[in-house]
Amino acid sequence: MPLQLLILLVLAVAAIIFSVLTAIAVVAMKTIDISRIRTRERLYRIYSSKCSELLLGDLPPLAPGSKPSEAFALYESLIEPVKTSFATMSVTRRNAHRKALRHVLVDFAQDITGDSSDRLVYFFYSFGFVEEEIRLIRSRHWWVRAHAARSMGLLGAKKAIAALTAALEDSHRDVRTQAMHSLVKLVGPEALKTILRLSTKLSRWDEIELSVIIAGYKNDAVPHLVEALRHSDQSVVLFATEMLGDIGFVDAVDPLMKLAHTTKDMNVRAAALHALGRLGDERAGGLVAEFLKSKIPSVRLSALEALGRIAGKASTDLLKPFMLGPVRDEKLAAARALAIVGKKGISLLQKEAGSRDALTSAIAAQVLEEHGLTSIEA
Amino acid sequence: MEIVLDILLNSYLVFVILYFIGVNLTYTTLLIISVREILNYMRHERFSDYRLIVQSELTPPVSILAPAFNEEATVIQSVKSLLKLNYGKYEVIVINDGSKDHTLERLIDEFRMAKSKEAYDAKIDARAVRGIYKSAEPEYRNLIVVDKHNGGKADALNVGINVAHYEYICCIDADSILEDDALQKVMKPFMEDDHVVAVGGIVRIANGCQVVNGRVVKVGLSDHLIPIFQVVEYFRAFLSGRMSWQSLNGLLIISGAFGLFRRSAVLEVGGYKHDSVGEDMELVVRLHRIKREQRRRYRVVFVPDPVCWTEAPDTLKVLSRQRNRWHRGLLDTMLIHRKMLLNPRYGVIGMAAMPYFVLVELLGPVFEFFGYIAMMFLLFIGALNTQITLLFFIVALLYGVMYSVGAVLLEELSFQRYPNPRDLALLLSFGVLENFGYRQLTAWWRVRAFWDYFRGKNAWGSMQRKGFGSAA
Repeated sequence: MPLQLLILLVLAVAAIIFSVLTAIAVVAMKTIDISRIRTRERLYRIYSSKCSELLLGDLPPLAPGSKPSEAFALYESLIEPVKTSFATMSVTRRNAHRKALRHVLVDFAQDITGDSSDRLVYFFYSFGFVEEEIRLIRSRHWWVRAHAARSMGLLGAKKAIAALTAALEDSHRDVRTQAMHSLVKLVGPEALKTILRLSTKLSRWDEIELSVIIAGYKNDAVPHLVEALRHSDQSVVLFATEMLGDIGFVDAVDPLMKLAHTTKDMNVRAAALHALGRLGDERAGGLVAEFLKSKIPSVRLSALEALGRIAGKASTDLLKPFMLGPVRDEKLAAARALAIVGKKGISLLQKEAGSRDALTSAIAAQVLEEHGLTSIEA
Repeated sequence: MEIVLDILLNSYLVFVILYFIGVNLTYTTLLIISVREILNYMRHERFSDYRLIVQSELTPPVSILAPAFNEEATVIQSVKSLLKLNYGKYEVIVINDGSKDHTLERLIDEFRMAKSKEAYDAKIDARAVRGIYKSAEPEYRNLIVVDKHNGGKADALNVGINVAHYEYICCIDADSILEDDALQKVMKPFMEDDHVVAVGGIVRIANGCQVVNGRVVKVGLSDHLIPIFQVVEYFRAFLSGRMSWQSLNGLLIISGAFGLFRRSAVLEVGGYKHDSVGEDMELVVRLHRIKREQRRRYRVVFVPDPVCWTEAPDTLKVLSRQRNRWHRGLLDTMLIHRKMLLNPRYGVIGMAAMPYFVLVELLGPVFEFFGYIAMMFLLFIGALNTQITLLFFIVALLYGVMYSVGAVLLEELSFQRYPNPRDLALLLSFGVLENFGYRQLTAWWRVRAFWDYFRGKNAWGSMQRKGFGSAA
């Protein structure tokens, strides 16, 4: 047989084998998947109903001043039958059942409070789920580590705090994020201090995740955010600045003014001015006006945007030259600031809407329209 | 003379074999990379809470740009569907590209719009704007309609970019259907990495799906054969091709039907090119080119999950026009940026992505088509061993089958949008069948595109939309 023929035959056989095996694999996967989902759903239903009984069922009352171990003994008596039934199962079956039970407990953990919650945490420890998760957070696969970090928060496993703190410096973002959420669940707002201290190179997504946590604590988070203004990483400083402006707590004014004044980073300065604008505290008026003379366009723009909110009608004269100036972005920022300073600003805009300069006139008309001060042409 | 012919024949055969091996090795590598990438993406998705995007004030706002030309039949339903997307802050900018029908009037009437005083800033050169319309109705506050002189899709998108108020612009076709969470998913890479300049989402075929009120409520396959062939093709192109190239930062195409860009990056490169039929690909290649020339870090990303549904051609005539246009666009882009080809200055783009697109995607159909002719001729004159030639032909087809089946496997491994096992079996069968006739036909259309291109044909060709049907 010639060599070419042999090579072609081998290639043909390889292609056929691959295609046939892949097609079989696709169909088999679909079938197995359907059957696996059914089994999972069945087990979930069984353990949901069992867990409802275990968590909500009545227990004999304990004497006042009784030790926690007595309550634990009662909890243990509740789950004894489940443990016994696990012991009689084959390894594969037991794993499937344990997985379903853990799944149900984690789902319940998100809604349950009070005595039932104590029982739930005890069950996690007693079934060995907490130990399992602590072991898994050291896995070499990032998705296993991330899953373990998430579960530990849901399980309320205080024993896992050290492992979760270490996970804040994990090489994978998802692990860090899950650890962050879990730590906040376990420790409360105090966890923010450690989280912000260990954070670096925050992406917008990280910031969104963190902002949701901070939104839950608002003023309790302010001291930690103020401390983060001194962080060595620019992204953390920018985030803390933005959040302080967002929360609107008056204690943040002085640290933000200090930051705007002392920082050499122009992005941070612009962010600080923006935050001061959102806070709208008159104390910052002089400082913000000073930065209208900055040579950096982004700083000037932030100062323009902030000034209208801080200084009110007093800022009209400062804003006017920018409104009439040549730079489009500054014209627009000044016009928008003028629209919120009061009657004087509005009058100026109305006057400029009839200006001979086409751009000034268009921008003034646009801003008046944005504020509903002129109706959209019919 | 006989010696010369012999040398020519042998050289040709060596070329064919080397080309065959090269192409199949490339496809196999891309398939393997995509499997890894898709599995990684799926794992990453399990930890993504998209509710945050909707809730957070830090979520960057997006401008959706939808160019419309003679879309009076579908434009209202499309815009209503866009206004219902599940995202934080966004605006919808419909650019009426000088429609000759009542597209503009229908928009004005339906959304109670009136001319606005907004100052138009022509950052990118484009045909004149006749008016910017806004609605005073609170529910349509985030809708802007721009009326302009006709200038083509690229020109309309450039006007949209000029009008956009936000840093992120999502370019779509006015008749596409975005899934509720598509914007969230396609925005995520921008939020995770500041260096991302463009993100493409997957485009799927809506023919055969049940669409109610501008939403795909049930996924299925068409009753016609041609759209089903295209479903398998799209799997191969998006799940295998784009997924693997993006992992190497070598993605050259973001579909015009659904792509998100950083506005400042697009403005920096001058927007869409007006006179190209492949304006979507050309923009992405230009972004690569300029960023690499400036030696700046950047990424172009493909996300396989945010779904944009589109109506695919269901007749050979319309399909041939579409493929012809795509191929002319590819040829045009490769010629414009030929300087990048095999130029180490452009890294993976110059040394891998461009050679792949030129040798495999652009010239592949030419080699394939003329290969069939040469094979028949050489067999006829007895210059080839019939047994080996036929076997080679069969092997080539089998490898085609293998990649199609592999692409269906990718879909099943990941998103499983076709829940019915019957549909899956049908897709697998079409993965086999497409290699016997359909593939050769598309190769012929693409060969003809060369002829049309060099004759100076620059038209888009029209596609009669049937629309997505029912409104509940």
